[in-house]
Order: sequence, then structure tokens, then C-alpha cells
Amino acid sequence: MNKNKYLHNPKDWSRRDFLTRAAAAGAALGTGKALAQDAPKPPSEPAGALANAAVMGEKHTGMTVLSERPLTASVPAELHHFAATPNDRMFVRNNLLTPDIDAAKHRLTVKGSVHKEVSFSLEELRKNFPLVRTQAMLECAGAGRTGFVPRPSGTPWQLTGGMGCPVWNGVRLRDVLRAAGVQNHAAHVAGQGGDFGVIATAAPVIRSIPMDKAMEPHTLVVFGMNDGPLPKVHGYPLRLMVPGWAGSASVKWLHTLNVLDAPFKGTYMDTSYRIPRDAVRPGEKMPPDALVTEAWPVKSMITYPAPNAVFKLGHSVLVEGRAWVGEGAIAKVELSFDEGVTWQAAQINNATDKYAWRIFSVEFKPAKAGFTTALARATDDRGNSQPMVARWNPLGYFWNGVHRVGFVVEA
Amino acid sequence: MKGRFDRAFRLVTGLTLIIAAQANAPAQDEPPPAKTLAPGKGVELTTARCVLCHDATHITRTKLSRGEWEFNIKNMIERGAPIAPAEIAPILEYLAAYYNREAAPPPPAAATTTAEGDPAAKLLNANACLACHQTDKRVVGPSFREVAAKYGANSSAATTLAAKIKQGGSGVWGPVPMPPNAGLSDADLQQLASWVLRQK
Repeated sequence: MNKNKYLHNPKDWSRRDFLTRAAAAGAALGTGKALAQDAPKPPSEPAGALANAAVMGEKHTGMTVLSERPLTASVPAELHHFAATPNDRMFVRNNLLTPDIDAAKHRLTVKGSVHKEVSFSLEELRKNFPLVRTQAMLECAGAGRTGFVPRPSGTPWQLTGGMGCPVWNGVRLRDVLRAAGVQNHAAHVAGQGGDFGVIATAAPVIRSIPMDKAMEPHTLVVFGMNDGPLPKVHGYPLRLMVPGWAGSASVKWLHTLNVLDAPFKGTYMDTSYRIPRDAVRPGEKMPPDALVTEAWPVKSMITYPAPNAVFKLGHSVLVEGRAWVGEGAIAKVELSFDEGVTWQAAQINNATDKYAWRIFSVEFKPAKAGFTTALARATDDRGNSQPMVARWNPLGYFWNGVHRVGFVVEA
Repeated sequence: MKGRFDRAFRLVTGLTLIIAAQANAPAQDEPPPAKTLAPGKGVELTTARCVLCHDATHITRTKLSRGEWEFNIKNMIERGAPIAPAEIAPILEYLAAYYNREAAPPPPAAATTTAEGDPAAKLLNANACLACHQTDKRVVGPSFREVAAKYGANSSAATTLAAKIKQGGSGVWGPVPMPPNAGLSDADLQQLASWVLRQK
């Protein structure tokens, strides 16, 4: 995997950051007639922010950086060939900078439609509530966006980029909410994180989730990932984990839970993260009744073989992958080795945690030498199957088209 | 040894086939997006207002309809972009002209481009010089014309300017510092310095 495919030279990052800051400072100083208006002044240094080089230094060399500011990065499907996603392969999707937070001083406040406003240190969260360990999917709403034609704006995630399924360590959100006493008329809970932008006017990242999902026992306030501390870029010291739902609901660097009587009103609820109910023509505006992106539709990927792998004729290939659905369960996974003309059922490993992906496999014995492809198609317990091509939508969310990998069989 | 070479060769052959056959893998084989916005009417304002919270690739990797750009500008203002109401139209005009899915961009504006094949043009682009400098207009840093006028009379102008490009600095043109370019070779520095001095 080529780490330098985009803009990956870590030495270059400090300079890029510098240029962006210099450009920002220039705008604020009003250089040039058109720019002389009073634009808010950005900080000269992003104090309290972690450099991209520090984040990427802990990541796998096969991770592709898709944007330096805000930082977004992901690995391809074949690097997900693990039972649970290791930290160094977990995707990065910031909206703003990566804050460097002092865990010792960090507190989580619960307020709004509660009987009593409460606040907890990390130590108090650990002591006061039962600890939970669960493996669960986290997937950006825009994961796989490059599959859409024409390409909508937004992070150009690879077809299987922008998702992962690590183990999470934390406490149940419902336990924390009950400690404050949720009022009867409460409808949503909004998480707010401590990330900040280069300019003071950058809107805080706030999303709210309905009370049912907040009270689901797998919805967590997490402080650990894969049984270690949460890495800084993944929300250290505290984040929400809203399993199976669009990743933006799992607010990172969480410091406030605001219990609301209605969905939160804000850009990350009302303008971004919306998807039309029905098909729209590419280029058309978002319909006013578009839905908030919540649970991911059924999806799967092939993690073995890697694209372009070479095998010997006469040997069988254990084609393997992962399948998941935002809510519900995987009912079956089928594979096709003839571009979708015929399909055969895959073996699926026993279910583990409710929101974890399922491992599937098929032993494939190539009948002849040459270029071969494998397609995987998952179906959930409500009868929804993956489409060959996901329905186009203005912001490019929920790509769940059938994944296809090509490999070579030698005589 | 021979076996390994054979395998590598076959892999490359296979790869070519796969690239031709993989209808479902568009992203992996795309060239990286440009690090600076295309020069043209409105580029200074768009850079100053947009290339702030996010880098320029968020625009250069994208081609949208005019309506989608309009939606994006609204979305970004909601997210805190410091765009005044009067600035929306010129930014929209720029984006809809240069990053339009449905129409080719206009020919490059003369004042901000270099001749085709000019080695200096490559250096200017590769080192993000154009993020802060333009030929005619002061953007973040001074225009190349101003720099040429200031240093041009000096007999060792190219050497002085090459050293300044390498070291960066602040205070000559204002408080916004220029970052160093320590990675450039002496030949590249000379190339850039002489090009800038020709912009009188």
C-alpha cells in the first residue's frame, strides 16, 4: 500500500498547517480589498490541538489520508481481515481539529430535561456504573461514497473505507442518564464534544439521538477501545458509542449530554446527515422531508483475498469477509463467482455481540485458470438485501452496494 | 529468484486486467487532487473564506452542479464559515465556473498563470506558493510583481531572493510569516527566484 498516494509526507504536514494558518491570518488582517471585512481572527497556533503527524504516526502504513484538514483516513477492505478492528486500522473522521484533552480534568455533565444536573470525572464514571465491554460497528454515514456516480461532495471514502468494528469499553449511556433522572417529556439526547476549529465561529459538533436508542443497553459512554485507553483521535478521554448508526451520532471528546424535549436543531442535524426518503435525480436538491441518517442498511465486504492476489489452480481459496446491519441481524450472506449470475450461501460464524460484524466464508475451488471475481451480498432478518449499486443521494450517504474483488488463478 | 520475478510480472499483468475490469473501484486509481484552487476570478476570496477550516482538496477533488455548490456554501456558513452575505455570489460564481460537473472550466486567467511547460510553474504548484502569492495581486503575501520590484535592482537579487525563499521569514511585507522551504534544492531555488524577478 502506498502511503504517499495523496499528501502523506508527515514532514509536509507542519508546513501545510502553517500555510493554512497563514492564509487564515492573512484573511483576518484584511490583506486585499475584497478581504478587508472583519472576518473573525483565527488563533495563530491551534493550541490544544494534536498534529496530524502524531495521529498518523500511530496508524498502519496502509492507511490512506483523504484530507489533512479536517483529518480523514481509512484502510482498504483487505486490511480489515481481523476479528475486531485494531486501533491502527480504525478510520479517522474529524470535523474539526484533534483536541488534546487532559483526562484528569475532564468531566461529563448531564443537563437539560433531567431532575438534577450531574457531572462525573472519568474515575467517577468507572466507579459508579457497571463496566461494559462490547464489540460494535462504527461507520461514517458517507462510507463508500466513491461508489456514487456522479460523485457527491464530502470525504471520498473508498468503497469499503470509513468503518471499523473494534471492541469498546465503557458504561451504559442509560445508566448515566438515569443518574440525572430523565424527565417524562424528554425525547432526544444531544452529545457535545470538545473539538474546535481554526476559527472561533466554527459550529460545535452536536448531534442528538432519540431516547429509545439512548436507552438501548449497547449505547455507551466509552473510555476504552480494544481494552486500552481510547486513542486521542478516536475521542480520548470520552466518547459516545451509538452502535450501528451513522458515525456522527457517536460524538467524540464528549463533555456534555443535553437531554432535550425535541431533536436538536443545528447544522449537523438539519442540513448535513440527511437522506431523501425516495430516489432523487443527481443534482437535485435535498427534499424538505429528508430523513436524519440513523441505522446503517445491510452491508458486507470481502477481506480475503486482497485484490489482485494470485492463486494456483487446483487449490481452494477460502474467500472470507464481514457482514453487518445497523439494526437487526444478518440472516444470510451469498457469494457469486460469475458476476452475479449464480449465488451460493456462505458459512456465517455464530453471532457474538449484538452490533458486531459477522465473519463469513466460502471455500472456492476455481474450475479454470484466469482472472476471477468474488461478489458478496448480505441479507438482514427483515429481508433487505444489498443492492448491486446503492441509491444515489445528494450527500452520498449509506453506500451499501455489493462488494467485488478480483484475483488471479494461475495454471 | 526467477519464480519471484515471474510472480511479480504476472501480478503486474493481472493488475492491468483488473484495473480495466474493476467497474466498482473508481477511487483507488484517481490522481491526487490539487493542493491549491485553480486560478481565476474569485480565487482569492474563495481561498480566504474556504481554505481555512478545510484544505483546498475539499474543493479540488469535487465537481458539482451550481445548485449543489449553492447548498454547500449555505451548509458551510451554518458550520461557521466567515462568509458575508455579499460574498456568497462571487464565491458561487467561482466554484460554479471552475468546479462544475456539467461545464468545462474557463481558460486560465492570464495574470495568474505561467507559460505551459515552464519549470517554475511546476515548482510554484508543488510547493503551494500560489496559496499565498499571485503575480498581480496581494493575497496573503506580496504579489510576485511587488517582490520583483523590491529586489530587482540589486545585482545579487536572485541569490538574495533564493535565500529568502529557503529560510522564510516575516516583517518584510507584514506580520504574516512565510514558512521556510528547506526541502528545495539550490537549483530549484534559483529557478524560482529568477522566475519571480522576471515578473516586473
